[in-house]
Parts: sequence; C-alpha cells; structure tokens
Amino acid sequence: MIKDIAFSENAGILSFIRALNINRSNRINRIVSIVARPFSKFSTEGKIGILGILCIILMAAFAPVITIYPPQKITGNSLEPPGPEHILGTDELGMDIWSQICYGARMSLTIGLAVAFTAGFGGGTLGILAGYMGGHIDQALMRVIDVTMSLPGFPLLIVISAFLGPSILNVILVLVLFSWAKPARIARSQTLSLKKNNYIIAAQNYGAKPFYLLRKHIFPEVMPVLLVLVISISSHAIIAETGLAFLGLGDPTSKSWGMMLNHATGFKSIYFTPYWQWWLLPPLFMLIFLLLCLAFISRDMERILDPKLKMKKGF
Amino acid sequence: MRNDRNSFTLRLLSTLFVILAINFFLPRMMPGDPFTTTSADEAGEDIIVMTEEQRLYYMNYYGLDRPLYEQFLVYMKNLMTGNLGRSIYYKMPVSDVILLHLPWTVLIVEGATVISTISGVVLGTLSAKNRKNGSDRIMMTGMIAFAEIPSFLLGLILLLIFSVHLRIFPLAGAITPFSDYNSLAEQARDILYHAFLPVVTLSLSQLTGVYLLTRNTLITVTTKDYIRTARAKGLGEKTVWTRHALRNALLPVVTRTGFMIGIMMGGVVLVESVFSYPGIGMTLRSAVIGRDYPLIQGILLVIAVSILVCNLLVDKIYGKLDPRVVV
Repeated sequence: MIKDIAFSENAGILSFIRALNINRSNRINRIVSIVARPFSKFSTEGKIGILGILCIILMAAFAPVITIYPPQKITGNSLEPPGPEHILGTDELGMDIWSQICYGARMSLTIGLAVAFTAGFGGGTLGILAGYMGGHIDQALMRVIDVTMSLPGFPLLIVISAFLGPSILNVILVLVLFSWAKPARIARSQTLSLKKNNYIIAAQNYGAKPFYLLRKHIFPEVMPVLLVLVISISSHAIIAETGLAFLGLGDPTSKSWGMMLNHATGFKSIYFTPYWQWWLLPPLFMLIFLLLCLAFISRDMERILDPKLKMKKGF
Repeated sequence: MRNDRNSFTLRLLSTLFVILAINFFLPRMMPGDPFTTTSADEAGEDIIVMTEEQRLYYMNYYGLDRPLYEQFLVYMKNLMTGNLGRSIYYKMPVSDVILLHLPWTVLIVEGATVISTISGVVLGTLSAKNRKNGSDRIMMTGMIAFAEIPSFLLGLILLLIFSVHLRIFPLAGAITPFSDYNSLAEQARDILYHAFLPVVTLSLSQLTGVYLLTRNTLITVTTKDYIRTARAKGLGEKTVWTRHALRNALLPVVTRTGFMIGIMMGGVVLVESVFSYPGIGMTLRSAVIGRDYPLIQGILLVIAVSILVCNLLVDKIYGKLDPRVVV
C-alpha cells in the first residue's frame, strides 16, 4: 500500500499521508487514487469514456456556437437530406437536426446529472445518518429502502408521469424517488462497518461531536463509493428519461434525444422512406455512445476503488 | 433462515400494498373532481353546470363522499373480484383488454427467458473453459458493452437493420393481418416469424447477466476440492464439467432467471412499442397517449403482480433445489 503511494506524483499529499496514522493510510490512499491522479489509473476503455463524455459536455455547453440554426425554428424545407445547408438534414417540420442533437445533449446531461446528484448524495446522506444513529430510525429506513427497491421502477414511472403530466421537473422528481434507495443502502452499510473502526472510536473518546465525526471521518470515506454510484444512476436516469420521452411522456416543449426518437418513430412512413437515415440514426447513436462512455467510466472507477472486484469480474 | 424468508414474503406484501396505494391515490391527487368539468367543445353549446344538489347526489352515487379509507376498502374489494374498471378507449372492462393482449407479452417474455438462459449458460461455460485464452477476454468485453445498451435502443437498431434495410423481418404486428392459415403449423410459423425480433432483442439484453453469472460461478466452483477429487477419480473432462461443475453453478442462474422476468416485464413496454407488438406494453403506450387512466392502472397492476409472483416463485424453487437454504 505504502509503496503504491510512493509512486504518486503528488509529493505534498505523500508527506501528509506519512505524517498520519498508518490505520488511515488505506482510506487516504483510495481518496488519493481518485483525486490526485485520476487519469493515469484508468484503462484504455475508461480513457475513451472520459474523452467521450468531455466531447458531449463541450457539445452541450457550446451548442449555440457550433450550430447555425436554433433547434426549434423552421429553417429549411421539410425532410431535407444532409447537405451543406443542414449538416444532418432536417426533420418533418424543417428544423435542423444537428442543432437538435446539440441542444438535446443539454437535456440528457441535465436530467442525468440532476437526478444522479440529488439521489446519490441525498440518499447517501440519509443512509449515513441512519447507519450512524442506528435504532428505530435505521430499521424504519431499511424497510422503506427494501420496498422502494422491489417496486417495478419503469412501469410505475410511466404511470406517475402519465398522471402528473409531462414536465422536466416532474420527470426528475420521479426519477429521484426511484433511485435514492441504492446509495442509501450502500452508504448505510459502509457507515455501520466504519463505526467499529478503532480510529473513529478513538476520536469519539477524545470528545469528537457526531457532526464532526460524520464530516471529518465518515463522509470522506463513503464519498468515493457514492461517486461511482452517481455515474451509474445518471446513466439509468438518462435511459429512463429517453424511455419516457420515447413513449410520449417527455416534456413536449423540450427537444431531448428521446423526444427526437419519439417524433421520428411516430412519423407515419418513416420506415418506408430513407428519412430514418438522418432523422432516427443520429439521436440513436448519440444515446448509445453516451451510455457506453458512462458505463466504461463507472466500470473503471469500480475497478480502481476495489481491487478485489477486479478479480471477481475477471478483468 | 426461516425468519429471513418470512420477512421476504412480508416485503413482497408491503410492496404490493404500496403499488395499490399509489394506484388508488394518484387519480385522487389530480386537481379537480369529475363533476366540476364544465367545458364546452363548440361555441354556443350549452354548458351544463350542476347544481349543488345534483353534485352531492352524484358524489353519493359514486361513493366519493365517503371517507377515504372506506373508498380504499371498496377499491380493494373490487380488485379481489377482478373488477379493474372500464377502459375509456376500448369501452370494455379493463380485465378483458388485458387478457386480450397479455398472451403476446407472455409469449415473447417466456421465449426470451428460455433463449437467454440457455445461450447464456452455454457461452458462460465456453468462456470459463477458455479462461486463459484471448477469446474469453474478447467475449467479456463484447458482452459487457452489449449489456449497457438499453433493450429498446437495441431493438430499434435490430429493426432498422433487419426489417427496414434488409427487409427480412416484419416491421410491426404479431401476425400477418387478414391471413388464412391452412394448417396449425403455418399459423405457428407466422407467429414465430413476427415474434423473432422482439424475442431476440429481449434475449440479447438479458444474455450478459446470465453469461457473467455462469462464468463467474463456474470459475469459483472449479477451484473447489470436489472437482479435484472428481478429476483424481479419473472422470473425463466432460463428466467433470457437466455433472460436477455446471450442476452446482446453475443454482444462482435459477434465481437470476426469476428476477430476469421481472426486469423484462419493465423493459417489454418499450420493446413492444418499438416493434408495434400488440402485447400489454404496446397497450400501455396507447393508453398513455389516449390518457386511458383505468387501463394504465390495470396494466401497472398486472405487471407489478407478475413481477412479485416471479420473485416469490424463485424463492420457493430455490428452497427446493438447494437444501441448504431451508433449515
């Protein structure tokens, strides 16, 4: 473990770790591996994933710069094939598809990130608190988590969004409601095992207040695990949003990639005409690309966090 | 252990209760009540506004003035007798609509379960046997990438390749419309022909789970002492793998199969929409578009109950297969 750290480029952190108790070196080693040298530890697939995500983020952020036309304005003829005027052609209303792809990236990323961070850190905090306090609160939370995890997520999602009406906020809220349980459970079990560690008991005996313990010792330890979960939740959220939009339950005023799929497949003769080649394929490929990138990153992060997992999964 | 299994059943029951409660309260949470609607479609049309007396009469007639818990009890009683309400679009009982479409869904879900389990076990065994070669690594990476593509996007790709581009498979439906069949075999062929792509899509999306599980359990199992003993006894490689290793490695696969049905019941809604396959998923989509609320609720209930029943069955079967579980 120590040898491993010695290779770290970051000498400052290195001396800091040496000064600390040996007991904690394992913990800090893990945090260092995430914060101080993130890129070198990723495998080739992970690096591709990170670069891919960066590309999509840049595309979303600079959407107005890299597109000529606004996404929701009629700027050309209906169903124009790709050409110099419109790079990826136009849809049935004459809106530019490349613009829709770029602006749609914003939608998918926003929903993914919003759901993942709220559910991941909200659920994580709940789990940490329950695990730390124990007793009846813990038991009650565990029951709620059990039930939430065995609910059929997607069918319920459809029904709730059908009743509540389509809006981005509703979609995010419902998705959060269905994805907080896993991080809460994992954070709780981590907290429970952490609580028994000598250094935490020692800190407690020195008079550390619960809030201090949580902030200084428990939260930093649980954090890396939550971070991995956040990525996998965000990809789930993106899939769910796409699915809802594909069924016609997305926000009709937004142009997410799922909405594009919905419009294209809803077009009467889409499969009998060549239109699908530039109307259906771009959002489809972008979605798959985004999901694969997220998957690569989360797999790699899991591997970095837990070397034992690496053996089990056979990488 | 027994205690654990009791709590499992309890968990399923409470889950069912939560679903019922959501189903019951959702329509009542929506703003307005059925008697305040006073819209007129055309100008000049008479708007019927109910007097307070009439409104109270109808509230009483439909039982909406009774306390919420009493309404909930009535709702539960109706469910027990199979009364799910009437579909607004189909103008017939929801249970009939569901029964009409459920067989198609069951067909493709069951087909996909069988295919993905068998091929997953076969591929997993191959992979575990060739663990030291490069072929295993290639297979792993490919399978894992496959698993990350959601089933309906995969279905869309398959549809575009095989139905739209190559025109080998049909675009939509479960049978050729207006066709007369000379024999039963011909009818079966037509049904299989239409079900092929949806089944393949669902199977592919579930394959990786079974594959990884088989591969990993096999790798663990083959390090066990009794495998070495079997080899030492002079049994052939084939006997060792099938009778000793695979037999024990299949236990977790059984559990996985049950949960797989649950996952697929969720994903089937989207897959059926992609292939316009007339199962309950497709019905759910049209119900959502047509805002046919009773039908939406009924379908949700059917999906939820079938998932819970599958989980319960798996639990029971597992107890039978592995004597260690029931103490």
